[in-house]
Amino acid sequence: MSLIIDNISFSYGDRAILNKLSLEVPTGTTTAVVAPSGVGKSTLLRIIAGLLTPSSGSIILDGKNLSLVPTHLRSIGMVFQDNQLFPHLNVYDNVMFGLRMAKTEKKIASERCRDLLELVGLSQIAKQSVDTLSGGESKRVALARALAPSPILLLLDEPLTGLDSELHDRLAHELQRILHATSTTALLVTHSIHEAEIISDSIHHLQ
Amino acid sequence: MVGHRLEMKIRSVRFLVIPAAILVFVTAVIPLIVLATSVIDKADIFSVWTHSSVRRALVFSLWQALLSTAFTIFLGVIATWHLSRYQFFGRRTFIALVTVPFVLPTVAVGAAFIAVLPKALHHSILAIVLAHIFFNISIVVRTVGPRWNSIDDQLIDSARTLGASPLQTWRHVIMPLGKNAIFSATALTFFMCFTSYGIITILGGPGLATVDIEIYRRAVQLGDLSGATVLAIAQMLLIALTFLLWSRSRSTELVLFRAQAISHRRLSLAPKCFFLALAAFFTVPLLALLAASMRTRDTWSLTGWKVFLGIQKQRGIDFNMWQAIQTSGKYALIASCIALPTGIAATYALSNRRSSHSRLSAFVILPLAISPVVIGLAILITYDFQPFDFRSSWLLIPLVHAAIALPFVMRSALPVVEGIPNDLRCAASTLRAGPWRRFLTVELPLLKPAISTGLAFSLAMSLGEFGATSFLTRRESRTIPIIIASLFGKAGDIPRTTGMAASLVLIVTTAMIVITIDRKSHT
Repeated sequence: MSLIIDNISFSYGDRAILNKLSLEVPTGTTTAVVAPSGVGKSTLLRIIAGLLTPSSGSIILDGKNLSLVPTHLRSIGMVFQDNQLFPHLNVYDNVMFGLRMAKTEKKIASERCRDLLELVGLSQIAKQSVDTLSGGESKRVALARALAPSPILLLLDEPLTGLDSELHDRLAHELQRILHATSTTALLVTHSIHEAEIISDSIHHLQ
Repeated sequence: MVGHRLEMKIRSVRFLVIPAAILVFVTAVIPLIVLATSVIDKADIFSVWTHSSVRRALVFSLWQALLSTAFTIFLGVIATWHLSRYQFFGRRTFIALVTVPFVLPTVAVGAAFIAVLPKALHHSILAIVLAHIFFNISIVVRTVGPRWNSIDDQLIDSARTLGASPLQTWRHVIMPLGKNAIFSATALTFFMCFTSYGIITILGGPGLATVDIEIYRRAVQLGDLSGATVLAIAQMLLIALTFLLWSRSRSTELVLFRAQAISHRRLSLAPKCFFLALAAFFTVPLLALLAASMRTRDTWSLTGWKVFLGIQKQRGIDFNMWQAIQTSGKYALIASCIALPTGIAATYALSNRRSSHSRLSAFVILPLAISPVVIGLAILITYDFQPFDFRSSWLLIPLVHAAIALPFVMRSALPVVEGIPNDLRCAASTLRAGPWRRFLTVELPLLKPAISTGLAFSLAMSLGEFGATSFLTRRESRTIPIIIASLFGKAGDIPRTTGMAASLVLIVTTAMIVITIDRKSHT
């Protein structure tokens, strides 16, 4: 079972962004889509997440066509380019958010949350406000938050953009380790072939 | 040495609060102290509450304010969410339509609802609540709008990818992010409704009097200054509590809500219908006002307009409208000339908040916590003896108007002043600009939006001010709102149609001033 992107097209007004794009992401692997800016990488992820509707084509996840499934019922997690942490919640509550929405039993949820914070190395700052985090810490929280509800598929939108080169490489390896440790099926979009090589199992180029 | 220079700098900025402090002292602090210490008969502290009219006024103020606030917040939150997040045809016009009523003259708004409602509802709780919604919905849009407008679309998207349904996203993300602003809007709306005076003067009646109306009745009609003062002080304490809740939040800057770029999400049918109904709610009373100003009994007539313009004389109507327009205009200009520089200077002094600064801030914003009626009464009593017999001085009214506008000028200036990066000042200093040149060439141009918003607020507030002016006005210095109220107090069709004409002119003038100044500040 896997994610199948079948002949997806999308345009903003007259401007075609994606034209009959097809792609497959096997279960338990990380696939990277590498492309320069402006060719529709983020648009592709937003279509898969259900945040945008394609003009044609379909998205099939584990054999199920997602065309009519709203975003919140797709079980697809996403790490946004600029993290989008909830400013009114602390680190712990940000990670708990998806579990609360799924009405996961409190004890199980807090255990999962603690495990994930440990996995990303942020147990010490669980109660800290997200305003006080560094760039690297924010990325880790965003990743833990997206993984918490155990999504079938994880989308990563340029997850390491804006970090200095040393931190970038360290986090890329860490990300690869975490995705493998959690056996997550993931689709990564990035403009950096170097980043894709570290994190993913297979690479697709988008022109 | 550096530490010493910085210390000097903070001190010199603090001095800027002095003009505003003097204004508040003269128009609020001293009069309130005199009011509290000189006219109260101790027996009245308890006995005034035994009057049934007082008890009725208190209960009525409370429940009509609760009812009005509940409806205003409910409708305001729905309108604000869509205005701040969705793109739809007429959105800019709608923002102007919703945000302008707050600065419209209360008596004129009351007149508009007399014009639109059937006679049986002229003096009813429904009329009062509708007028309060019309007047106060802009508080919600002005305070909550900018907050919600600033939420990144992707933050909401991220909640959705985490499994939050639209309802859960509202509950767990959108509402918590707007919570402080909604809380502030609720407190301010409650305060405006509880102390409602102009609207109740026109739409109230037997059993429909607020505490402010009762204060006026006791002080002016019954001559019971002591009882009126006890009521005024009790109300002030209650409002101070509400006000404390309001000022606790930093997200309460009242701004003219900008129609800034937003996502291109489209409205669905239900919100479209809601906005159509709301647009009708805001425009129909004004159209009805125009129609009513030209309708005497069952015929169309321009008599009201002729009397208003002084073309036709009418027995029992003895004012000169041109003089009233001149007086209102003069007061508005003087009040703005006082409120703007003092308000912006005080904002500078208070923008770097420390504990002492926030105390000062509360002090300068004091007039907002006191109903204008109480200020009017206090001034009437205070400046009544030599050598301080200023009651006959016309300057007292624009001074009071300036004090009432001051908190609004400051609230609109604060985010702009605090938004000027300190590095910009430092950069100007390193380019050899002294403090004054730095202010004139760098800071003043950046302050332009705050100055225009402050100007719009102070002009509009002075033009429409009724509560304090009703105590301080003299026959030869009556403003348009005072004349409107007196016209509605007279029997007959002609005073009523004349009052409608005056109300319409005042509403249109105020709205045009506010919209024009706001547009100018954009360009």
